[in-house]
Amino acid sequence: MLYTKSMTQISRDDVQHLAQLSSLQLGDDEIDALQVIPTYQVSDRQNVWRNDVVIDYGVTREQLLDLSVESDQHQVKVPKVL
Amino acid sequence: MSTISDLKQSISSSTAVQVVKDAIAKADSVAEYNALLSLTAERALDRAAKVDAGDITGPLAGVPFIVKDNFLAFGAPTTAASKMLESFNAPLQATAVERLEAAGAICIGKANLDAFAHGGSTENSAFGPTKNAADQTRVAGGSSGGSAVVTALDVVPFALGTDTGGSIRQPASFNGVVGVKPTYGTVSRYGVVAMASSTDTIGVFTTDAADAELVMSVMSGKDERDMTTLDDFFTPQLQPTSGQKIGLIKEFMTDDVDAEVRQSVNQYADRLRTAGHTVEEVSLSMLQYAIAMYYIIVPAEISSNLARYDGIRYGYRSSDVQTLAELYGKSRDEGFVAENKRRIMIGSYVLSSGFFDAYYQQAQKARTLLIDEFNKMFEQYDVLIGPVSPTPAFKLGENTSDPVKMYLADVMTVSPSLAGLPAISVPAGKTAAGLPVGVQLIGARKSDGQLLALAKSLEGAN
Amino acid sequence: MTSTELLEKYDMTIGIECHVQLATDTKLFSGADNDARGKSPNSVVSPIDFGLPGMLPVLNRAAVDLAIKAGKALNAPIANVSRFDRKHYFYPDLPKGYQTTQMYDPIIQAGYIDAPLDDGSTVRVRIHHAHMEEDAGKLSHYGNYSLVDLNRAGTPLIEIVSEPDIHSAAAAKAYATELYRLMTFAGVTHGDLYNGNMRFDVNLSVALKGAIELGKRAEVKNLNSFRSVEKAAEYEFHRQVALLERGEAIVQETRGWDDAKQITNSQRSKEDAQDYRYMPDADIPPIVLTDQEIADIQATVPRLPGEWRVLLKTIGLDSLQTETLLDAENEYRTTLSLLDIVEASSDNTEKAKFIALWHVNTFVPLLRDESFIATSIDYTDLITQLYDLTKASKLSSNSAKAVFIELAGSSELPDIESYATEKGYIQESDEGAIAAVVDEVLADPASAKAVADIKAGNDKVIGFLVGQIMKKSQGKANPALAQKLIRERL
Repeated sequence: MLYTKSMTQISRDDVQHLAQLSSLQLGDDEIDALQVIPTYQVSDRQNVWRNDVVIDYGVTREQLLDLSVESDQHQVKVPKVL
Repeated sequence: MSTISDLKQSISSSTAVQVVKDAIAKADSVAEYNALLSLTAERALDRAAKVDAGDITGPLAGVPFIVKDNFLAFGAPTTAASKMLESFNAPLQATAVERLEAAGAICIGKANLDAFAHGGSTENSAFGPTKNAADQTRVAGGSSGGSAVVTALDVVPFALGTDTGGSIRQPASFNGVVGVKPTYGTVSRYGVVAMASSTDTIGVFTTDAADAELVMSVMSGKDERDMTTLDDFFTPQLQPTSGQKIGLIKEFMTDDVDAEVRQSVNQYADRLRTAGHTVEEVSLSMLQYAIAMYYIIVPAEISSNLARYDGIRYGYRSSDVQTLAELYGKSRDEGFVAENKRRIMIGSYVLSSGFFDAYYQQAQKARTLLIDEFNKMFEQYDVLIGPVSPTPAFKLGENTSDPVKMYLADVMTVSPSLAGLPAISVPAGKTAAGLPVGVQLIGARKSDGQLLALAKSLEGAN
Repeated sequence: MTSTELLEKYDMTIGIECHVQLATDTKLFSGADNDARGKSPNSVVSPIDFGLPGMLPVLNRAAVDLAIKAGKALNAPIANVSRFDRKHYFYPDLPKGYQTTQMYDPIIQAGYIDAPLDDGSTVRVRIHHAHMEEDAGKLSHYGNYSLVDLNRAGTPLIEIVSEPDIHSAAAAKAYATELYRLMTFAGVTHGDLYNGNMRFDVNLSVALKGAIELGKRAEVKNLNSFRSVEKAAEYEFHRQVALLERGEAIVQETRGWDDAKQITNSQRSKEDAQDYRYMPDADIPPIVLTDQEIADIQATVPRLPGEWRVLLKTIGLDSLQTETLLDAENEYRTTLSLLDIVEASSDNTEKAKFIALWHVNTFVPLLRDESFIATSIDYTDLITQLYDLTKASKLSSNSAKAVFIELAGSSELPDIESYATEKGYIQESDEGAIAAVVDEVLADPASAKAVADIKAGNDKVIGFLVGQIMKKSQGKANPALAQKLIRERL
């Protein structure tokens, strides 16, 4: 995503606006005092994995390439990457 | 409004093909609501014929349904109501859709939504807003506006939606139908366009709680294609536990909340008391930070999940591009709506180095405190209740110029989302002007069955 | 200034990042085939690898096991809890717009390796950490367009990050070489360098000797041989020193190695380094391992090079022989194991030494002969029988070698002793039989002078008499025994 300076300004303003509206201390004092661990996932799972066996997803290369605007030699085509 | 068993009876007394044809005709007759983006008529009729021939069977055999257009499905493009995916024909289907089809149900179309599910009114759709089922000058709610409206208008007995911060519950409340957001991890997210990976859930709109139980039990359960799905736990209950202790959330009943909304909630609380449960006021201090947490965490995850939409392998590619940089920049600029871009920018900002600790990590720490507070509350209370939204459905165009005001309206629904808790919206009456109002029931993790049983027990005298 | 003088004036400091492709059958988060060799573009790509909407990762258990094994080889503890994070940037070979990696909680923590140098010393290089991540796809460039092949996208990698403990090009090469040995011996990778199974990024900076601060560093990326690691380090050192000598500044940047021209050239400035906005991946639950689980998996790691060096030294091999054997084991790993036989005999030092030296002196040179093709015969059996026959003095070492070379290419092994007997290789070790020939030779007038010399004290001439006995017996006499009998009679 190409950012312009004004776009960054908008997002910073939005966040600060939100912060003011909801007094974004986010309970800083509580958080620091209790040494809180962040929650990145609310699923209580761990060690979820699969066996090392090839899976047939039922979707062919041609089906995938058909989704693109332009392809050539079985590959998606894009303007030259410099 | 018809239930699933009503439809099954119709199928027995006529045919699945006829029932599907009727549903399609009904959909066409309410086109002015702009609730549907496409119909999958050909495939639906083909499957209906197979039901009639006995080749497709199951507990939902022949029952028509609609999915929000962020579920990958056959028969029509999966657009996410966005120019970016306007012509995207999915080569596979979402697990939720597969499981319903395995039970014999028939998808007849794709419902409108806020583009990429970013919004609370369906006004952010690239294909026009959906109108409220009760009042066409008002919003359907969002982001699953289309699914709520087709259920309320009796096009189908159930429709699928997604709920990341209220996107099923709020439109359910605005349209007078049941809306279920399950415990995070109940239904597989495989094949659903991702918004925020840590709060996205798949749920359903129905006319009553019993139908919601049925559809949820068909869709739920471990999926090896989604590592965050929980081991099977969802079990419908015949009766709710008696004498439950229910907490009415004080922070959601302030004077900022529409008086008629509060009244509906209080009336529902009285009905709970009459049914033998206790209802008392409770307070959760972390709720004041919920909006701030949500609108830091979710845009961050959005910015990540939308990174794959670059016009290269699929989706919209801007036509007038000379360089690769232009391909990225223009495709994303033209393919996304303003709200998508706003959230991507906010998200990228809070994740950027130098700000990650102050914003994103801090919000996730506050999230821990919120979850702890909910957990403590559920040690004493069985269910928490409150409004779904501070107001009934607002007028089209009323909030579009002030995105932050739109965010603040989510205050009641985002906190169960952040905690991964099950929460449902059930119809709780209408305003004097005839606008539906829902009440929200929130339960502890994996108490989905109990919540629906409680809701079921109070249905009828509405 | 000469090269030596420059080396005395400047210090070079090198850190190496190594990407190791894991030897799994499927990719890290998708069940697509992990073997892209010789496959046509985009033929081993799943919807997950393609980055379709709604796709979710599913972790490959085997990749985790290999990471645990790699940790043992790197003398590094395995984290009890590790997680995955997303590293965001836009590039056509990165379908999701982010790479799934481990930034905050990598699975392999700090360790070290000891790399042997050519002069027999070793250099210890600390490992900062190593983490799992997925590989990107491949771009190929044409006139005004590029094509995207995602076969490799999603391939499981371990990235090993060293501390800047390397201070010479030779040490850099030694580190890369030993890392390769460790990862192949541990079974973590197939080690196919031609197909990029291990790729090295060399970060090099220079500073005046005695300077406290490190200089600005340049990174030379994607080297895929030990030789190019060494050459690139040498080149970079001289390039940077030359700039400093001219009073110019070093630009912190990424460079590529041009193997044809043997130079590095600038690719992109690291100064414009992107902000990757690392974010924990909520689609992937954490990996939680108990110490017991880790120990159980690491117990299956075969004997590693360091341990082999100790064992082979005890047996009696020198360091050149040892390294030859270790490298040959890797070279021929896919068709046969050389070390297994040594391992099996390790309780019998004499036998183990025989076999180890047999490999070094006889088998490996044969394997390296282009006209030789190994078959499916049991080489363990062949070599063991030859050992037994040699130990029983039935075969001289030359005869044993001859038998081996004759039989090594056959599709079926005959009974070795019968074969050797038939071909006349079995040497006579029966005293009585040799005694007759000894007496014959001693009695021969042609031997008279030699006999006289020996009696006079010139012992060396005994070789002439032994030679005569060998001739008379058509090479079958046991020369040691013949010599003994001669001495007894004189």
